[in-house]
Amino acid sequence: MNIGQAFKMAWKSIWGKKGRSALTILSIFIGIAAVMTIVSIMEGMKAKSMEQFEAMGTNRITVRVYSWSYDEQGNPLPAPDYFDKLYQFCNSIQDLVIGVTPTASCSATATYGTKSTANMEWQYDDNWNVISSPPQQYYGSDQYSACNNLTVGSGRDLAWLDCKGYKQVCVLGAQAAKVFFGSADPVGKELLVNGNAFRIIGVYNARVEPDSSNAYQMDNFIVYPYTASRILGGDNSNQEYLVKARDNETLSQAITEIGTYIKGQVDLSTGSVNVYSESQWQQDSNEYMTMISLVLGGIAAISLVVGGIGIMNIMLVTVTERTREIGIRRAIGATRASIVSQFLIEAAMLCGLGGIVGILVGTVCSVVLSQRIVQMTIYPALWVTLAAFGLSVLLGVIFGIYPAAKASKLQPVEALRAE
Amino acid sequence: MAEHLIELRDVYKIYSEGLESEVRALDGISLTIDHGEFVAVVGQSGCGKSTLMNVLGCLDIPTRGTYLLDGTDVQDLSDGQLSHIRNQEIGFIFQQYNLIQTLTVQENVELPLIYRGIDPIDRKELALEALNRVGLADRRKHYPTQMSGGQQQRVAIARAISAHPPVIMADEPTGALDSRTGQQVLKFLQQLNREGSTIILITHDNGIAATAPRMVRLSDGRIVSDQRQEVDWQ
Repeated sequence: MNIGQAFKMAWKSIWGKKGRSALTILSIFIGIAAVMTIVSIMEGMKAKSMEQFEAMGTNRITVRVYSWSYDEQGNPLPAPDYFDKLYQFCNSIQDLVIGVTPTASCSATATYGTKSTANMEWQYDDNWNVISSPPQQYYGSDQYSACNNLTVGSGRDLAWLDCKGYKQVCVLGAQAAKVFFGSADPVGKELLVNGNAFRIIGVYNARVEPDSSNAYQMDNFIVYPYTASRILGGDNSNQEYLVKARDNETLSQAITEIGTYIKGQVDLSTGSVNVYSESQWQQDSNEYMTMISLVLGGIAAISLVVGGIGIMNIMLVTVTERTREIGIRRAIGATRASIVSQFLIEAAMLCGLGGIVGILVGTVCSVVLSQRIVQMTIYPALWVTLAAFGLSVLLGVIFGIYPAAKASKLQPVEALRAE
Repeated sequence: MAEHLIELRDVYKIYSEGLESEVRALDGISLTIDHGEFVAVVGQSGCGKSTLMNVLGCLDIPTRGTYLLDGTDVQDLSDGQLSHIRNQEIGFIFQQYNLIQTLTVQENVELPLIYRGIDPIDRKELALEALNRVGLADRRKHYPTQMSGGQQQRVAIARAISAHPPVIMADEPTGALDSRTGQQVLKFLQQLNREGSTIILITHDNGIAATAPRMVRLSDGRIVSDQRQEVDWQ
C-alpha cells in the first residue's frame, strides 16, 4: 500500500468523526500555541534589548569608582574626579581605545520658549509604546559621540576646548531636536538651562527609527560638556565613565590595562573600582532570558504531554471501535505493518492538524501579545514554526505507537468476530 | 502447480486444550480440494464448519496437522506471508457482508487491490469491472448503509472477485438474505465456478448444499460424509 493512499485513508477516518477529531486536536493545539507564543515573545524581548544595545554600539567598557571616605561629622565625601587622568591614559592607548566619556546624568530644567523639560511627561499609547518623553540630559566629553555610536548630523560635535573652557554649549539628540524645534534647525539657538543660556552647537543623527518608542529612549537627549556640572550641579559621589574599545579583539586587553591603571590611582582602603564590559552584561541578560523561556516553555510542554496522552487515549478507543474493520482489512490482505502505519499516520495526522491550528493561533497570539508586551510586531521565526509542526507530528507518532501496535496484534479471526 | 489446490492432513483445532473446557472444533480433518471444484461444506451450527473455513482461508492456524495450500505448508509461513496469501489467493464472502461502513462501495471493492499495491488507474478499472459483474456500477459512490442486504452482499462479492483470486470462500453467503436474493447469489457463485474459480461454500442449509457438485458434511469437528453428485445448473 502506498503512502498517499494511507494518508487518504487516515484523512477519511478523521473527517468521518469530525466532532471527536476537533476535540482531540484541541488538546494539542493549545499546547503548541502556548509554546510558540512563549518562544516568540522571549525572542522578541531579546531582539528588543539587542536593538538598544546595537544602537549604543558594542565593545563598551564601564569604569566605576566607588568611594566611602567621610568627613569628621560622618558625612560621605565625594570621590575625587579621576576623569582627567583616565582621559589622558585612554589617549595614550589609542590602539586599544577610541573614546572615553563620563556618563553622569543631569537633572536640570532645559527651556526653549514655552517648551520646558519641567512640563514634559512620559506618555504611552494603548500598547504601552512611548509616544512622548522629556529629553534625558547627560554630561559628556568630546568623545561622548564616539562612545555612544553617535554621528553629527548638523553643526559640530563637542570639542575638548568646550570642556576645558567651561563653554555653555550643548548638542541635541535627533528626537530632542524634534521635541524642542520640530523641523526647524536648532543649531545656533539657545536653551535656558536652570536659567543659564546654553548655545546649541550641533545635532546628532538618529540612531533608531524617528518617533518610534525606542527613539524616545535612545535619541531624546541633550549632552552638555562634563565641566558644566559646576554650573548645573550633579551627583558626584559615584564616578562612572564609559570607554569604547576599538573592536572586539582589543576589548579584553583594554579592560585589563584600564583596570590596572585605575586601581593604581585609587586609594583602595577608602574606595573600590569596577571595570566591566557591557557585552558581558548583554550576554548575561540573554542567557537569563533564554533560561526564563526554557522554564516557561517547559511548563507549556507539559500541556503537550497531557495532550499526547489524550491522543493515545482516543486512538485506543478508535482501535477498539474499529476492531471489526481491522479484522476485515486483515482478512482481505492487510499486513500487520499496514495496520500499524494506518493508525500511526492517523495519530500523526491528528496531531499535525492540531499543530497547524496551534501554529495559526500561536502566530496571532505572538503578534498581539508582542505588541502589548514589547511594543514590537513579532512573527514567530521560521524555525519556531517548523519546530512546532515537527513536534506535534512527533507527538502523534510517539503516542500513536502503542494503540497502533495493539491494533496490529489483533488476530484476524477474533477481530472479525467483534461487534 | 501442486497436485491438489488444498490438502488437509489430520488437522485439529482445539481450544483450551487439556482443560476441562476443551473444545475440539476440528477433530482430525483430512480433505483435498482440487482446482475448479465447487465444494459445499454443510453441518449444524457448532459443527466446526466456520473454523474449517478460517483455517482454509489462512485466517487461523490449526493446532495440529498439515495444511498444504497449493503445495505450501501454511504452518511455516509468517504473518506477512499469510496476509499475502489471503490477498492474492482467496476472496472472502461473509454472512454479515463485512463491508467497511465508512468507505464507499467502490472504495470497499478497491481495498484488496490497494493492499496488493495496484496503481489507482488499474484499481479503478478492476473495481468497476467487478461492480459491473454484480450490476452495481451505478451505485459505486454510495455507502453500504444506503443499500439493501442483497446489494451489500453483491458489493462483498465484487470485493472478493475484484482481484481475480483462484479461490472464493463463502461463509453462509445467503444466511442473511431472503430466498430469492439468496438464489441470485448462489447462481452467481455457480457462474464463477464455470469460469474456473474454485468455490468453497459453507452453509447449514441442506437445500443449498444439495445444489453443489460436491458436499462435505461435518459433525462435531469430523467429516461424516463426502459425496459427489451430478448437478444441473441452468
